Amino acid sequence: MENPFAQEPRASSSWLWQVITGVGLVLLLGLHFIANHFIAKGGLRDFADVVAYLRSPIILVLEVLFLVVVATHAMLGMRALLLDFGLSERAERRLSQALTAVGVLTVGYGLWLTWVIIH
Amino acid sequence: MTLLDVTLQIFRYKPGEQPHYDTFTVQVEDTAHVIDAIDKVWAEHDHTLTFRRACHHSSCGSCALRINGVEKLPCIARFSEVWDGHSPLRLDPLRNFPIVSDLVVDVSGFFQRMSASTMTITRDAESTLPLSVDDLAAVVQPKAVELPDNLTRFNRFENCIECGICMSACPTMAVDNKFMGPAGLAAIYRACQKTDDPNEKAHLLALANGEHGVWRCHSAFECTEACPQAVDPAGKIMALRREITANRFKKTRRS
Amino acid sequence: MANLEYPKVRRAGRWFDVRRRKLGMWAYALNRITGIGLVVYLYLHLAVLSLLLRGPRSWDSFVSLARAPYFLALDVILLAGILIHGLNGLRVTLTGFDVGVKAQKALFGVLMLVAVVALGAAALMIFGG
Repeated sequence: MENPFAQEPRASSSWLWQVITGVGLVLLLGLHFIANHFIAKGGLRDFADVVAYLRSPIILVLEVLFLVVVATHAMLGMRALLLDFGLSERAERRLSQALTAVGVLTVGYGLWLTWVIIH
Repeated sequence: MTLLDVTLQIFRYKPGEQPHYDTFTVQVEDTAHVIDAIDKVWAEHDHTLTFRRACHHSSCGSCALRINGVEKLPCIARFSEVWDGHSPLRLDPLRNFPIVSDLVVDVSGFFQRMSASTMTITRDAESTLPLSVDDLAAVVQPKAVELPDNLTRFNRFENCIECGICMSACPTMAVDNKFMGPAGLAAIYRACQKTDDPNEKAHLLALANGEHGVWRCHSAFECTEACPQAVDPAGKIMALRREITANRFKKTRRS
Repeated sequence: MANLEYPKVRRAGRWFDVRRRKLGMWAYALNRITGIGLVVYLYLHLAVLSLLLRGPRSWDSFVSLARAPYFLALDVILLAGILIHGLNGLRVTLTGFDVGVKAQKALFGVLMLVAVVALGAAALMIFGG
């Protein structure tokens, strides 16, 4: 009988991406905080301020990057938690696909929202 | 020599029956170890109590169980260390192993993991015992482990006594059936250290590089805390991660 | 190697049982809990931002709500979650690359101390200004 633990499995990069996005978030979240709560007067922006804020190209890049990185980190985190449910190999693949879809939708929503606000 | 009256609350399970705890009181010397009390329970009270024990000096790893919920080797656990003097001492089998009977767990999955790195010598043939000792040679074909020529590199071959305590303590082993486990991964790292063959090293690292290999570890470090032999499985898992990642960057740089 | 008769779902909750566990296990459970909380917050935040679609009046009334003390208190809790998750995450990252493994407990202590100090400073700023 074959020993399943002696078979070379497919290499996994998910943990690596988790720590890369995690470290990235320390930076991006920090910048997001500074830009939104330290630079803004009184720590919060009213409607007109938000529109002006998002219209700045540097800010736009920062926020989009932040959204992509945070969504990725969140999806990878959820995946790590759900993999603990002892799923079959097929279910694991389906889970990864489903979470990718959720992540894409999340980023898509954010991008769409930003677009509408700016215009 | 002082005598102690110790009360043990022992987990009992026989197939087809409900798991429950039985309480026994035995008299042991104050310098006794917990395994001595278990022996006495068997001898004086209940011959149906099933447990493993062999060397009585933390060398074989057979007796591993949980004392008041914490993984320990009862052969080296003195009552003066683990017992408060009055409450019953609770004994449970290891976590994360299927229970065979009472304190005995099924370790076949454990040895499957260990033999993946060829750190153990395991039999190819299954254990139907022959009727005569002379037949043993024909049935059992042990897989020999190659010893390195340069023996001066290792003062001690291996700390791990394959007791399974780390597997019981590990929170990932508790939830993931496919996880290689701290013992299996530590064995892979050890096997990597032992070999100079780059192909063998690459194979071993590949075994650890899967979704249910080193990357499932959540850095709880419970395994290292619980290990009675200073194997430091968590440290070895981290070292494996470092090696695997370093190799990955080497590969991408070359290509 | 499943536990005796435990169904998968019940097994999956085992990470939560920190009784008689050591520091590393507490850190792991804490990271998971804060992680789940932060994912919930992420979607709450996106939902709140959708108020911007309704124009200045909806958004500005929300902003005045966001200045209320109870709301600010929630913000402090959020910040606590962020600091714990982020700083412990740095510890997981470092030890995961075999850096500071022997000092992982001390590392946790130091980083949580940083979290407490940062949280204190932030609370002062949030409620002060």
